[in-house]
Amino acid sequence: MTNPIPQPEGLDSVHLNRRSFLRTGLGGALFLGTVSVTAGLSGCATTPTGRLGAVETRMDARYQFQFLTADDIDLFEALLPAILGSAIPEQPQHRRMAIAGTVERIDAGIHKFGPANQKELRQLFDLLNFGFTRITIARVWSPWPNVTTKQANAFLDRWRSSSIGLFNNGYMALTKISNVAFYGYPENWHLSGYPGPPEWAVKALPQFRNA
Amino acid sequence: MSLTDRIAQGLESGWKVTDGATLTENQTAEADVVIVGTGAGGGTTAEILAKSGLSVILVEEGRLYYQKDFKMDELTSYANLYQEGMSRVTKDGAISILQGRCVGGSTTVNWTSSFRTPDATLNYWAKQFGLDALSPEAMAPWFEGRETRHSVSPWRVDPNLNNDVLRQGCEKLGFSWQVIPRNVKGCWNLGYCGVGCPTNAKQGALTTTIPGALDHNARMYHGLRADRLVMKQGRIDALQATAMASDGITPTNITVTLKARHFVVAASAIGSPGLLLRSDLPDPYERVGKRSFIHPVNASVAQMPERVDPFYGAPQSIYSDEFNFRNGVDGEAGYKLEVPPLHPAMSAGVVPGHGDQQAKNLAGLPWMQSVIALMRDGFHKDSPGGTVSLRDDGSPMLDYPVTDYLWKGLRRAFYTMAEIQFAAGADRVRLMHLDSDWYSSWADAKAAIDGFSMEPHRVRLFTAHQMGGCAMGSNPEESVVNGFGEHHHVSNLSVHDASIFPTSIGANPQLSVYALAARNSVRLAQRLKA
Repeated sequence: MTNPIPQPEGLDSVHLNRRSFLRTGLGGALFLGTVSVTAGLSGCATTPTGRLGAVETRMDARYQFQFLTADDIDLFEALLPAILGSAIPEQPQHRRMAIAGTVERIDAGIHKFGPANQKELRQLFDLLNFGFTRITIARVWSPWPNVTTKQANAFLDRWRSSSIGLFNNGYMALTKISNVAFYGYPENWHLSGYPGPPEWAVKALPQFRNA
Repeated sequence: MSLTDRIAQGLESGWKVTDGATLTENQTAEADVVIVGTGAGGGTTAEILAKSGLSVILVEEGRLYYQKDFKMDELTSYANLYQEGMSRVTKDGAISILQGRCVGGSTTVNWTSSFRTPDATLNYWAKQFGLDALSPEAMAPWFEGRETRHSVSPWRVDPNLNNDVLRQGCEKLGFSWQVIPRNVKGCWNLGYCGVGCPTNAKQGALTTTIPGALDHNARMYHGLRADRLVMKQGRIDALQATAMASDGITPTNITVTLKARHFVVAASAIGSPGLLLRSDLPDPYERVGKRSFIHPVNASVAQMPERVDPFYGAPQSIYSDEFNFRNGVDGEAGYKLEVPPLHPAMSAGVVPGHGDQQAKNLAGLPWMQSVIALMRDGFHKDSPGGTVSLRDDGSPMLDYPVTDYLWKGLRRAFYTMAEIQFAAGADRVRLMHLDSDWYSSWADAKAAIDGFSMEPHRVRLFTAHQMGGCAMGSNPEESVVNGFGEHHHVSNLSVHDASIFPTSIGANPQLSVYALAARNSVRLAQRLKA
């Protein structure tokens, strides 16, 4: 694989070259593999975040990240306002907490996916985090911390409606993991009109009584 | 109403249960029979063999979860009870695989629907694969026996509205429908079967055959991953296994070697071929991992005028076989119609979308109803199934290409589901397809479905039933095991799960696995005690 990214000669030709390249599954897989290595070498923050200070990340400092890197967190902080839309609060502090909590649950969920699917997600996130492919493949010009909700939405819509299966797959992976982590969280159940398990059953069952 | 927890009682009374995560030294153990997997097949086998006086060791990669862990919460249950934390998909990512990984296997997280293998399927197996001994008449006593063991009977409580919509629509359109038999005893009609039954009403392997086996001196390791079957002088000598940490996914450096006279593999239609492939067992006609079937599922969601509350009530109680065998057993693709429960996390993951539109969709959950169609794959030459192969790290992966034959069936199913929902009074209907809108009339929905591109990813596809990959048959050139699940080429190996199905079956598979495993275990016990 000597030159995985064709040099842009014009928007159309980049579009075409990229499209035909990614259509071949093999090209896609090798390409993503190359990106991961390159991203690591160019010094992206590629190790799991561990514990970040609450000041740096505006998050609960007690949570220990097991998979998401600092770059991944930037990615989700940019995408979640678009993915969750009007479901997250407008008030800035509550909004930050909603996003931070969802990011933590996304991390916990990915940890339980196990190594095989973690590897797939690592490739996807690296592609989106590595500047060059973020621009040429995802067509997101700004680094994620500078991406507006409108731009994030446009990116998601592009991947959703694309005829390239790999992009559809990426769209579903990003939205599924976010939607599940958000709407599945008891504090957000009211957003889907779900009252939770029936109160009478919770009262009657032994596993809900405190030891 | 049953609040007696057999697992808690059994553990207290001294059951031989070992958590792999607690092991600190490599070790070896030995028994008459080692059984890999504690699901529908493994549990049935273990109980029958243990009761016959044989010493049995059960090996389960997942962990032991039971009533104390079942708090009707999606996020914890999906992470702990399902393969790959509910992220398992086919190779191209186009089909979501719902499969259990815990003691009891998929029977711990299924929706309790229990059907005998359809007569047409058994007759097809006899004709195509030389399985004459599996006729409906021959199998009847085995189905009866397992129906008793697992308390299977048609659900007598009124269907929840989610299910009744299917019934109403079928009635209006003249489609046949029936009540679903469920393997429950003293069910509280709560609807949380899919996240672990909180009341012990569900009679899956966890509450029946696993306790039965452990009561009869069987030994069970959970958190122990079966790596390889090692052969010596033409027979399997031992199973090598790796202990898993308590997170359920990180291997430790502890290995356990299990020796036995006979080995039974019941690790699911993905796990069993995986184990056989890793073990490099004789497979002269390269049959292992081939002809893997999944009952591909597509779905439709409706917004009803009244509150449905699709998250409450027995999740599945009505089905329709109107379209299952309509074109004969091997004609155009047939499908079974059922209803899935809709809880918030699952719904948020299944309805494809994001942003304000998604928030609006999900806010409507209490008025949402859904119908699913399960394609009966494997009965036509253009439905050859998928392939299980190994990833670099040895874990199994399913590649399932959806053929034109199946796409045609899936499109027909979209029409059927939408028509039924409108007939039942839906305000609007939306198909689970990336290009689907909400449609306010059957005519609009029909026109839209006409134009859908039926392609991977665009059509949202699921599977809750994994079958095949270690097919049974009389001809070793076309199968891995014989009609008794006995491996054609390895004398002390049997396969006792759904991986032995030579095609899919056209019904939820747990009862079929129970019945075949029971029949095959009785024979195995006789052989081993002779």
